Formats: sequence, C-alpha cells, structure tokens
Amino acid sequence: MSAALSGLRTGAILFAVLAYLILAGLPARLGDASALLFAILASGLFALTWGRQRSEQSLPDLLLRGIVGGLTLSVLVALLMGGMAGLIASGARVQTVLDKMTPPAIAAWFGVPPVAITRGELEAAAVLRTWLVLAAAGPLSSLLAFGWQHRRAIEQADLEQVRRWLARLLPFALLGMVIALGDPAVTIGGNQRGTLRLLLAMFSVVAGLVAWRTARSGREQVILGALLLAGLASLPFSLDQFQNSVMGIVFIFVMMGLGLNIVVGYAGLLDLGYVAFFAIGAYIYAFLSAPFSSPWFSQQLAQWGLPTNQPLLSFWQAIPPIMVLAAFGGVLLGTPVLRLRGDYLAIVTLGFGEIVRLFMLNLADLTNGPRGLLNIAPPTIFGYDLGNPRDIFILALVGSGLIAFVSLRLERSRLGRAWVAIREDEEAAQAMGIHLVRAKLLAFAIGATFAGLAGQLYAARQVNIFPDNFTLFVSIDALALLIVGGMGSIPGVVLGALALKGLPEVLRGVDEYRIVAFAALLVIMMIAKPEGILPAQRTKAELGEA
Amino acid sequence: MVATSQAHRWGTLRRREQALRWTARAVGLLIVAALLARAVSVSISENYPLTFWVSQLVNGLVLGGVYALVALGYTLVYGILLMINFAHGEVMMVGGVAGFFGLQIASSLGWLSGATAALGLLFVLLVGMVVAALTGVTLERVAYRPLRGAPRLVPLISAIGASLFLQYSVLLIFGVRPMSYQRPALIADGVRLGPVFVPYTGLIIFITSLLLMGALVAIVQYTRLGRAMRAVATDKEAAALMGVDVNQVIAFTFLLGSALAGAAGVMLGFHNSVIKFNSGFIPGLKAFTAAVLGGIGNIPGAMVGALVLGIAESIGPSALGIPAEYRDIIAFSVLVLVLIFRPAGLLGEVAVEKRA
Repeated sequence: MSAALSGLRTGAILFAVLAYLILAGLPARLGDASALLFAILASGLFALTWGRQRSEQSLPDLLLRGIVGGLTLSVLVALLMGGMAGLIASGARVQTVLDKMTPPAIAAWFGVPPVAITRGELEAAAVLRTWLVLAAAGPLSSLLAFGWQHRRAIEQADLEQVRRWLARLLPFALLGMVIALGDPAVTIGGNQRGTLRLLLAMFSVVAGLVAWRTARSGREQVILGALLLAGLASLPFSLDQFQNSVMGIVFIFVMMGLGLNIVVGYAGLLDLGYVAFFAIGAYIYAFLSAPFSSPWFSQQLAQWGLPTNQPLLSFWQAIPPIMVLAAFGGVLLGTPVLRLRGDYLAIVTLGFGEIVRLFMLNLADLTNGPRGLLNIAPPTIFGYDLGNPRDIFILALVGSGLIAFVSLRLERSRLGRAWVAIREDEEAAQAMGIHLVRAKLLAFAIGATFAGLAGQLYAARQVNIFPDNFTLFVSIDALALLIVGGMGSIPGVVLGALALKGLPEVLRGVDEYRIVAFAALLVIMMIAKPEGILPAQRTKAELGEA
Repeated sequence: MVATSQAHRWGTLRRREQALRWTARAVGLLIVAALLARAVSVSISENYPLTFWVSQLVNGLVLGGVYALVALGYTLVYGILLMINFAHGEVMMVGGVAGFFGLQIASSLGWLSGATAALGLLFVLLVGMVVAALTGVTLERVAYRPLRGAPRLVPLISAIGASLFLQYSVLLIFGVRPMSYQRPALIADGVRLGPVFVPYTGLIIFITSLLLMGALVAIVQYTRLGRAMRAVATDKEAAALMGVDVNQVIAFTFLLGSALAGAAGVMLGFHNSVIKFNSGFIPGLKAFTAAVLGGIGNIPGAMVGALVLGIAESIGPSALGIPAEYRDIIAFSVLVLVLIFRPAGLLGEVAVEKRA
C-alpha cells in the first residue's frame, strides 16, 4: 500500500516537472520525438528517485510503484495536453496567456500535423500512443532502479590502471579528430560538421583537464602538462573563424573566472559586483585606444592640441595602467566592505556593480551613454593586426595561461594559505596573526586586476562596447562557472567556462532556455554536488567528510 | 613583565579599534551633513511649491508601503534562518503575474463593475497572495530545505539560481508581452486632499499594506504558531526539544512572507500598471535595503526602513537636484552606506555578528 502511495506521490511531482517543460515550449523544439524523449527523461527521474533510497526494495514492490507512478504521470499529462488541444479546437486563444502553447507545439507532442489540432480532428490512436509511451516509463524505471540498487554485484574488478591510461590518451585522440575533421577528405555534411568540430575541440580541452589530474608525481605532471599544452596550442590553428571566436570568448571568461576564483574561491569573499572591474578594464582600454568616441575626451584632446583620430596608447602600453587602475578600483571597493561578511558582502558588492553600470549609462559626456564607445583598436604586433578571432583566441589562451600560473603560485604561497584560513574562520585566522585587512585587500586587488585584463581583451574583441555588455548577469555567469567547475579549482574554471559560455554557442537552438537551464543547474549543483565537477583537492577533502 | 606588556598590547589594540569606529562614525556623519546641506541649498535655489513636496511625500509613502510588505518577508526569513532569501523579489513578481490573471478572470466574469467591484478587487488580491504563498513554500522545500546546515555560501547561491529560474520561467511560459493591469472604474479616479491629488490606488495600497502589516504582527505576537516562530528564531534546537515542529514553522514563515509579497506584487501591478518577468528584481533589492535599513530580523524596523526608503527615493532626486534616473543609485547608496556605517540598522539592536 505504501508503495502505491509513494508511486502516486512521485508521479505527481514528476508531472509538475514535465508540465513545466511542456509549458516552457520544449515539445515544439523536440518535434515528433518529444513524447518518447519525455518518457525517457521521466523513467530516468523515476529511477533516480527510487534507486537512491537507502533501503532496498523487493522487485514486486518497485514494480507496483513504477506502475502506479507511470499511470499517475501519464494520465495527468494526457489530461493537460488533451485539455490544451480541446481548448484550441474550441477556438480559445490559448497563446495569449501561455506563450508556447501553439497548435504546432501540441501537434508535435501527439505526432500529428498541426491542422489536426486546429480542426479538432485529433485521432484517439495518437492520444493512446503518447499515453502508452509515457505510462511505460514507470515499470521501465522500476527495473532500472532495481539494477541500480544491485549494481555492486554487477561491478567488475578494479579497472583503475586501464581507466587512467584511457583518460590520458583521450584528449589527444579528440584533438586528432578535430584536425582530421578539418580535412575536406572527411565528409560529414557542411554545417553540422563545424558544430561537431567545435564540440570535439571543447571536449578535448575538458579531457585534457581530466587527464592532467591523473598525473601522480611531479615528473608525470610536467611531461603530461607539456604534451597537453602543445595540443592546446595547436587548437587555434585547426579551427575556423567562428569556432575560434567562440573559443576566444570562452577563454576571456576563463581569465575573468580565474580572477573571481581568487576572491571567492580562495578568500571566500562572495563578490557579486565583479563585473565592475571587467567593465573598468574594458572602458579604460576604450578611452585609451578610442578617445575620439568619448565626447569629453575628444574635447580635452582638442584643447591640448593632440591628434583626435588615433589611439593614445597601444594595446600593450595600455596593460600597465589598466592593471594599476583596476587594482586601485579593487582596493577602493574593497575598503568599505572589509567588515562585512557572507550575504551582506554579496548584496553590497552587487549594489556597487549596479552603481558602476548606472554611472556608465548616465555619464553620457564621458562614456557616450547607451550609444557606447566605438572603434576600439585591436592589438598589433610589429605592425601585424591581431584583431581576428584566431589571434584573440591565442591572446586569451596566453592570458589565461599566465593568470592560471600566477593563481597556482599564489594558491600555495603564504598569502594563499592566509586566504584559505580567512575563508574558513576569520576570527581564528586573525588570532593566528594574519593581517586581515592586507590579505582581503590583496585578494580584491589581484582579482580586480585579472578582471581588468579580461575586460581589456574583451573590448579589443568586441571593437564597440556598451553599458549593456556589463550587466549583473556577467557577474552571475562568472560565479556560476566557478560553481559548476568547482570553487578554488583552476581546471574547474576552464570546465565551467566551456560548459556555460561555450556549449550555449554550440547549441544555438536552445539559447532561449540557457538562463533557465543554468539557474536550475545552480540549485541542483548546490544540493547534489556543492564542490563542483572538478573540485579542488582541498574543498573535496573538506566537503567530502561533511 | 610579560603579562604587563600583553595587557599593554591589548590596550593599544582596543584603542586602535575604537579610533577606527569613531573615524567611521565621523565619516558617516560628514556624508549625511553634506547631503543635508546640498538638499537645503537645492530646495532654496529651485524653489518648488509646497504641493510638489507633499505629493512627492505621498508618492513615497505609497511606495514605502509596498516595500514594507516585501521587506517583512526578508526580515521574517532572516530572523529564523539567518539567510537572505534572494528570490523573494521574484515571489512578489509571481504574485503580481497571478494577480494579473485573477484580474482577467474577474473582469471577464463582470465582478469588477457594479456592486461587487470591491469584492472583485479582493479576489484579485487573494489570487496573488495564494499563488505567491504556494511559490514561496515550494521554493523553501525545493531550494532551501535540503541545504539547511550547509556553509552559508551554498544557500545563497541556490537562492540566486532560484531567483533567475523564476524570472526566466515566467518569461518562457507567458512570453515577453508585459502584462498590463487595467484599473477598474472603482479605483480609476482619485481624491483631492487640499491642493494635493491622491489617486485611489495609492490610498488603497497604503491602507491595505497597513492592514496586512497589522495582521502579521497579530499573528506573530498572539497566535500559537507565532509563538513557535519566535521560539525557533531564538533557538532552533531548544524549540525542537520543546516539541515545536521546526520544519513546519519554517514553511509557515515562508508562507506568511510570500503571501505578503504576493499582495505587494498585485499592488505594484496596479501602481505601475504593468508587471513583467523582471519586475520583481529591483523592488526586491530595494525592499531588502529597507529591511537592512530598519535592522534586519526586526519587524517594526522593516516597516520604518521601508517608509524612510520610499520617501528618500521619491523626494531624493529633486531634493539633491540630480536627474530622476539616479533614483536607483539612491537606494543602492543607502544600502551600502547603512551596511558600512550602521550595519545593525536604524532600530536594530542585534549585532551583525550573531551567526548560526
């Protein structure tokens, strides 16, 4: 009896999830296969709910649950979709209320042509088919859950050695495929082939990160690291323009994420206004390289008798002032919030970030307001223009490499250990003689410097920048990529940037669902795996024992 | 010898800390004085008529009433869980969206004209409150309860996720069209109090928010569940040992706070005539500012803070002689300044250091 009730309950909860996905318009995207895909999703979720329960259940018990759960779910979904179809057939304008409930979407669910829905000629067979497919998900998942609970017996002998070598070879195999796919002799239809290459390139970077973690000794790390770097260096030359530009933005976010990693990951200061420093870097570079697009600056230039149509400083000359000013900004914003902790700090920094953006929007004399700063100069080297996507990607790679190196050295330094101590317990750290003010301000300043550099490169990549490029969402993106990858973990930042900035570019069609998907991901990650996908060894140890 | 030098050192440290605190206070006072001086000089030079100031004040009170309802939700949750429910503004927005559909239903059934008009409006308000309350309770169950006892960063990030999720789900499901609240004939007009024109919506919002706040105080002070809430806020473990069902009390807290936010959402809909998927974000932040201003965790503080903030925001731009676009900056600056110079808030006696 309790099994039946539990089935009923799980079925109802899953109905809420599926109804959400349906109302959000997923069937229209998935087409005819949507009922089947939803059934697979449902059976996965059912199996996850039941398989993870501590006490083992007997097979008949699980089957009863599955049947009841599947029936509940499928009947409710059938009622929902049938109701929608009925409403549309009766001439009600459903779409004015529920944006995604168009006749084609409902037709896609039932696998019939849209005309059948508008005319109300939905056959019973189609309804029955989708209902059966979804109802079958229940019993199927009971079998899955049964297998999951008994997986210990199925698991084979120790394969770790083999697995480790496979992990080490994988990135090189993937890189080989990326290069091979570039060859016109290999034919996989036009556009999809490019997507496949981009995906493979991203996976090869991820595989490289995983491979690097398998290294056991220092020597292994050096050799493997050198090989992987060589592989990574070959990427920009084997990708095309679009692919390079996607990878470029991914690695600009890696630069920024590494900076935020110092503030949040190491020192534990939750900064939600981090975009301010990114914006400062971008705007300062824009002022220095395109002073003519700012009304106030061009006026000043004219007054001083300087040429008004060329950059004041080149990309390379602009680096030191940007680093200094961004660091100064970090100290300036960091000083007042020294006493604040946790969520208070988060809200105040969020306020700062918004204030910076509002000023950029409203100080039209200086920043040209919402019309933005235009024609920012690309970096050059010996007269050679580095503005194309491939060179930006290389610059971003080099930048991330340098920042990662500095982070790695900092992490193990006296300062890095002081940050971790502050993150864990501020009072105890102070009692141990750590200078809180100095350590915190250094974290803010160093983090801000890295974000400033990322901003500079971003401005050079975009050519034109607007206040809208620097909303709160950039901060949240940066924070989210840290969390997905794993706080305080450098490989985690790269993985997070690839997953959150790279994948949506590849999967253009789902762009609409991007924010919702990663918002849900944030919540799910916090519940299921708060340490991230590639956690730092230290956080892994800390959260592992809890 | 060693002991004396230790004592001497502690004395120096304490003196240094005191000096720091006094410097902070002095800087804070200087800022306040500078703002006041600026306001006085602007009001002398601009020479606005008195009715202008009074109508701005009325506007501020109405806005403050709405903020107060939302701020109470932040304060209730913070008082019990010591966490900032970052998604509270979105709960308010969901209430506003639900109220919009309630309004459509009510007007298509003809409840908003004739004798039943007031009841129809009450129905709209109730729809907003019930849906928001359900959203809040679900939010607690799904996104916060599994994380109780985790490090403080974890629920905050989950809350950010929940906030984005609610915003963009509304965008996905209901589309980008803003939902416009048509005011029924009953409240379309206004009343003239001397030379100042007050729209009925403003009047109703202010009175309703006062009534709801009164109801909340009554629940917290005089009911069994309210007593349980206070017990849990004081000491969770001890309350559990005394037989209080802590989970139920927390869920009830979310229910109360979210119902108030839902009411605020409906009112904001009538006030601004429109509700969008991101309508909750900025008002949510401002309500949080109000809660902090009054001293977070403190119920009267939230109300006072909200009224002060509402007035500061509506009078501030003209008093300081800055463009009205900067009104958001005023709210954020108030937040930053309060947290830096008086983190316990105007009425707060609880030290910020009190932590779980």
